[in-house]
Amino acid sequence: MTESNYDEIMQLLCDRLRDLASTDVLITPETNLINQLSIDSIKLLNLIMEIEDTFDISIPINALTDVQTVGELVDLVHKIKTTSS
Amino acid sequence: MSSTITKLNAPLTQAFDFQPSSELHLTPTPTLNTLIQQLAGFDTLTSALEYAAKGITGYNFYDAKGNVRSVLPYKTLRQNARILAQRISGFDLPGGSRVAIIADTSPEFVELFFACRYAGLVPFAMPVPVNLGSHAIYVQQLRGMLESSQASIALANIDYINFLEEAVTGVASIRWAGTPGKLSELPVSDVVLQPNDPDETAYLQFTSGSTRTPRGVVITERALMCNLQGIVRNGLEIKPDDRSASWLPFYHDMGLVGLVLAPMVTQISVDYLATRDFAIRPLQWLRLISRNRCTIAFSQPFGLKLCTLRVRESDLNELDLSCWRAAGIGAEMIRPETLRNFSEKFASAGFDESAFLPCYGLAESTLAVTFSKINQGCNSLKVDSKTLIDKKLAVRLQADGRKQNEFVNCGRPLPGHIVKIVDEDGHQLSEMMVGSVLVKGDSVMTGYYNNPEETSKALRPGNWLDTGDIGFLFEGDLFITGRRTDVIIVNGRNIRAQDIEELAEQQPEVRSREASAFGVNGEDGTTTIVLVIECRLTSTPERQSLVTRLQQLVYMAFGVNCVVELVPPHTLPRTSSGKLSRFAARQGYIQRTKLVDQLSFVESGDR
Repeated sequence: MTESNYDEIMQLLCDRLRDLASTDVLITPETNLINQLSIDSIKLLNLIMEIEDTFDISIPINALTDVQTVGELVDLVHKIKTTSS
Repeated sequence: MSSTITKLNAPLTQAFDFQPSSELHLTPTPTLNTLIQQLAGFDTLTSALEYAAKGITGYNFYDAKGNVRSVLPYKTLRQNARILAQRISGFDLPGGSRVAIIADTSPEFVELFFACRYAGLVPFAMPVPVNLGSHAIYVQQLRGMLESSQASIALANIDYINFLEEAVTGVASIRWAGTPGKLSELPVSDVVLQPNDPDETAYLQFTSGSTRTPRGVVITERALMCNLQGIVRNGLEIKPDDRSASWLPFYHDMGLVGLVLAPMVTQISVDYLATRDFAIRPLQWLRLISRNRCTIAFSQPFGLKLCTLRVRESDLNELDLSCWRAAGIGAEMIRPETLRNFSEKFASAGFDESAFLPCYGLAESTLAVTFSKINQGCNSLKVDSKTLIDKKLAVRLQADGRKQNEFVNCGRPLPGHIVKIVDEDGHQLSEMMVGSVLVKGDSVMTGYYNNPEETSKALRPGNWLDTGDIGFLFEGDLFITGRRTDVIIVNGRNIRAQDIEELAEQQPEVRSREASAFGVNGEDGTTTIVLVIECRLTSTPERQSLVTRLQQLVYMAFGVNCVVELVPPHTLPRTSSGKLSRFAARQGYIQRTKLVDQLSFVESGDR
């Protein structure tokens, strides 16, 4: 995909996170990846690989330190996607 | 360095994505050298590099897609490190001053590390941040190391400089902090670089993520040279046609000593993949081994597990791992199934299971303590579980059908080193008896920097290093059966129970000595961290808020999930001196949650 808008990224990530999450929760931009979705390190690595492959971007490791919620992750992907294309 | 500077305004991009067009077709350093191989035997690191620089081998860095990103022959490393040393000398610091470097897998880190040695300074590697949402806690961890080491200079490349600048704020010892690019703008002083003394400190190795009590292992040039010689001559039997591949972080002892320094003191080439790139696409490591015909590559068992989990049948066809003669395994307890699963999966790609090379070591003994015999693969011993628990005795299994435990043979100590097993009172135990593993020899640290309390816990009279591991000896070979309860290993990461308890005690609702952390093992061998808190809160939302906050903090600091259990005051068992007993706390938790088969022999005795 060459052009991705914000809502598309949000939709894709929410779908993917629903599959990964160990509990049945409603996923919103405010959902906390760590304590609400229990995304452990292996799930996180898988998720990053999928995001990188889907959007053809590279997510720098230092940027994830400021990501705690679904919304923050979408913001990051969107920011990288728009600056790299 | 110029590429780093041009990226100053684009902090989200990796500094190395940018390559001048002239560097697009980089050729990695060759495997075969023009120089006669010398297997360690140098008196210092810089004298080893002076020799290696006469050849054509060196370090190669690859990107996530497997393309060469930069090439650093030992010859260039020597030149660049010497020039950097002359720039650093301009600060006119006393010999032995500490220099902190955030160590991502880059040529800059290696250049700075050697520059420090040429300038008579003591470098140490600090980790890169790896956990979601870890910004604040990572900065605290950096500050802990800077303060504990009393560092004078701190360096980070463009990706991490923001964290470093936050961390150095208010650290009184810091004279200068910046990027390698900024350092390169400083003048080259005309100082004549002096050779180092074998008795001076070569580097510090931090072993704990604690913000309050970080522990920087002090390793002298002599200890380092002794350990490297043992590794390359006795452990690996390095030959002129060897080549290494590694994804291990440069801020871990196995990554730094085993896969940066050991190749250099034997003048062989290495191919590096960044840890992050391996973690996301582990097969890139195997592709590097296959493509460059690498012969030596180390991993924690967890790294092998990642490869086994992620590989697809189609990947196997393109791999030829028959060149891999030494697959070193260490840094956490080795479960034979992990190795069996890996070799079954990769046999069709030419992997030979006799390449498995289990070893045992720890940063407090530079890196390696024991190596199993090369080319013999992984050997293990099956022992009777009941005798092990009841009598702390390893008895080889005579009949099938009895419950058993299988332990991997980690081999014999390197020359000049002795391993002994002792009971709780420090008395030496005979073969097959399970107890604490103690090590003595020239590779053992002189202590933790500026931390006499922790040093006296680890170094016992007669300079015996208490490793904190539990095991037994059989026919001179070491078998590790577990760790004492003060360290929890999750997915290959060593996490100190004390560091988790410290995080909990920083919460206003938790008093000191009212938190206990330990690991419990699932049937599949996975470890879960449990944090038990004595809690006076009665309202459900307040209790829930504490649990959630603690889980989040532990995740940010250590990248793992944990179970938090709130119990009434006075539930946690204490010793006669009022100290919490993690072992007893764990037994209590297991009984409350009815995981009774967890009551085991492997973890007993608190430090």
